[in-house]
Amino acid sequence: MNRRNFVKAVSAGTLGATVGRANGKTGDMQSVPPSDQIRLGIIGAGSRGQELMRYFLRVSGVRFAGLCDVYEPRFAAARKITGEDTPVYRDHHRLLEARDLDAVIVATPLSFHAEHVIASLQSGRHVYGEKSMGFTVEHSEKIVEAVRRSGKHFQVGHQYRYAPWFQQVVQRVGKGEIGNVTHIYGYWHRNGNWRRPVPDPKFERLINWRMYKEYSGGLTAELGSHLIDFANWLFGATPEAVVGSGGIDTYHDGRETNDNVQIIFRYPGGRTFVFSSLTDNAKVGAEVWIYGNDGSVEVTMEDALFFYEPKRAVSPVPEATTERGVPTGATYRTRGEMPYRGPGSPVKSPEGAEGNPNFLACRSFIESLRNNKRPFADELVGRASAVSVSLANKAIEAGRRIMFVDHAKT
Amino acid sequence: MSKVCSTKFVLSRTLDGSHPAAGAKLSLVRRIVDAHRWLLILSLIVLCFHASGRSLRLAPPDQLFYESRPAMGTSFEIYLYAPDRERASELFEVAFDEIERVEQALSNYRSSSELSRINANAADAPVITDPEVFALLERAFDYSRQSKGAFDVTVGKLMKAWGFFRSAGRYPSDEELAHARAQTGWQSVRLDNRTRSVYFLKRGIEFDLGGIGKGYALDRVAALLREAGVKAALIISGSSSIYAIGAPPGKAGWQVRIFDPLDRTRTLSTVSLKDQSLSTSGSYEKFFRLNGRTYCHIMDPRTGRPVEGMLQTTVITPEATDSDALSTAVFVMGPQQSARVLDKIAGAAAVFVTDRTGGERIVEIHWPKYQAASLLP
Repeated sequence: MNRRNFVKAVSAGTLGATVGRANGKTGDMQSVPPSDQIRLGIIGAGSRGQELMRYFLRVSGVRFAGLCDVYEPRFAAARKITGEDTPVYRDHHRLLEARDLDAVIVATPLSFHAEHVIASLQSGRHVYGEKSMGFTVEHSEKIVEAVRRSGKHFQVGHQYRYAPWFQQVVQRVGKGEIGNVTHIYGYWHRNGNWRRPVPDPKFERLINWRMYKEYSGGLTAELGSHLIDFANWLFGATPEAVVGSGGIDTYHDGRETNDNVQIIFRYPGGRTFVFSSLTDNAKVGAEVWIYGNDGSVEVTMEDALFFYEPKRAVSPVPEATTERGVPTGATYRTRGEMPYRGPGSPVKSPEGAEGNPNFLACRSFIESLRNNKRPFADELVGRASAVSVSLANKAIEAGRRIMFVDHAKT
Repeated sequence: MSKVCSTKFVLSRTLDGSHPAAGAKLSLVRRIVDAHRWLLILSLIVLCFHASGRSLRLAPPDQLFYESRPAMGTSFEIYLYAPDRERASELFEVAFDEIERVEQALSNYRSSSELSRINANAADAPVITDPEVFALLERAFDYSRQSKGAFDVTVGKLMKAWGFFRSAGRYPSDEELAHARAQTGWQSVRLDNRTRSVYFLKRGIEFDLGGIGKGYALDRVAALLREAGVKAALIISGSSSIYAIGAPPGKAGWQVRIFDPLDRTRTLSTVSLKDQSLSTSGSYEKFFRLNGRTYCHIMDPRTGRPVEGMLQTTVITPEATDSDALSTAVFVMGPQQSARVLDKIAGAAAVFVTDRTGGERIVEIHWPKYQAASLLP
């Protein structure tokens, strides 16, 4: 028996001796009532779009009803992911004309987000839109307005809002576990040119759109937006001002977006978020450090660790101590300034709450549609980080401090 | 295209090199010959121009690049031919990103993987997964069926009972063994392809795709590198599974040597791989000895005990997912049962090294003729 025949033979539940326990709790698609079936379309089935498709297909009762892209080789790849001959479209208007569509995923290059998100909302569909939400401040405002007018749900692709360990950290830091938090440092360091192979030079801008200012906000948007969103979330605020630096210093290959950026956001109450992205050293990888006067938290894309500052003794001493005189001399305190290199205290997710942030974000979006519930990472969350991205890039380009109040409503 | 250009480049140099020394007289005949030579060169240049459609620039021959990164509890290595460092770097990124993606889906060490989600929930209710993960599970269960249970991705609990999970192994108590056996068994899993759902018919079942996942990652990387235009590459996971795209320039294939498990300085066989994969399983990777017997880390799921009598198996198939799964399956099945399974798979071959002596020590099934005839007695 060859594989294909074998698969046919064992499909439909003949592998086990009996059909499974009837506990009434089943996730299979047959059990999802037709009214709860969610039919998705996707605009932009590139690498990120395809990854989102895989995650959405792990949620019960989800099916893809249409795939839209301007680059035809992606149709075959995306159909392989859906496992069926899903209808394909080169023009997003045609996709949106399809009747059997409940929601649309937008995973196109950043400069097209507003056009595709707004068109999808106007067609009466809910939208899962990739980050950064809007390319410019204006784009982000227009998306917020379009969501309001449509009455549909919008979720932005800030999936770490759904990561159990991120949620735990925000909760515990919010309760004061590491004292007063004044600084967050976020790193997204890689060692590579960030380019994708291009089969023909004529597709360079289409495939490596992240390199070109016409379409992309570069590292600030593609990587920084996640960490900016985290800082916004943890501080419960949006920045007031931003300064930044960056350049094309390593990869002189015709790219237009910076291959390294360093950005400082100032938040109300004298709080600061520092973001750094390098593409020629990956020692620190992608991680965030939250600094409070009683401790620190290291948050990575997979886990989080708490560290606590040594307790400082604040106790009264006899006044006679000062009568003897206080010795003086040059001091050089190296040991006290050394970084702490011991283990941290790992964050444990509650039983049953573990999971992949991408999957949890996709599942939550589907649940929002089924239960008519506003997504956690909604359009306001999206606007806050997208505007921060836009203004940070403006600050880098202008070489000066940008005040948010001069540009944004947020 | 680059092949045409580089061939022309070599030919041109040969022709130029055959010019007589400076000052030699050019006879009429010679002029005619030279004219023909130039005509040939010109036609080759035109051919190159036509083929590239872009420029007359001679493409330099591709160079061999190498990169290794840790993944899936081992290290993945890639050799590939590319025109320059930048292109090679892009290709390595594509390849290692894909390996990371596959690991993120299939790892049972990461709580955020798709496999962990299935393991955690499939005893409560059917878990829907995406077509890619579901298809790989179907493939694994296909091998369980074909091998009559010799290959079984639910064998993890037995491995743990025998102490081979992150340690060197130990003899379990009867109670431990019975408990582990009660929590294994591919027949206690229901795969439903109408709904793409996975359901464990009893509690305690867990998937461990260690016997097939690395091969799958190799196949995915091979597909992406081919899509990106790579004509020659060798992709290796922890030296146990290898996939060869094409062959190095001017060669028939990528040379791979199989060691003799009894003396790893000796080469048992050298094979030439081209658009094929090869996987090896060995009892020497992890084992313990007790009362004169050797217990290796490869379990026979049918008996719940480590396989005895086999030292090493190597399998060649067109795809690495298959060779990876089969190298374990044939290790458990032994040559006789394996022959029946391998006969049904086009292009499959295997060589077994048993702990016997004499003529039965090495057993071949469809082992290729093109390899160096170096199988030891």
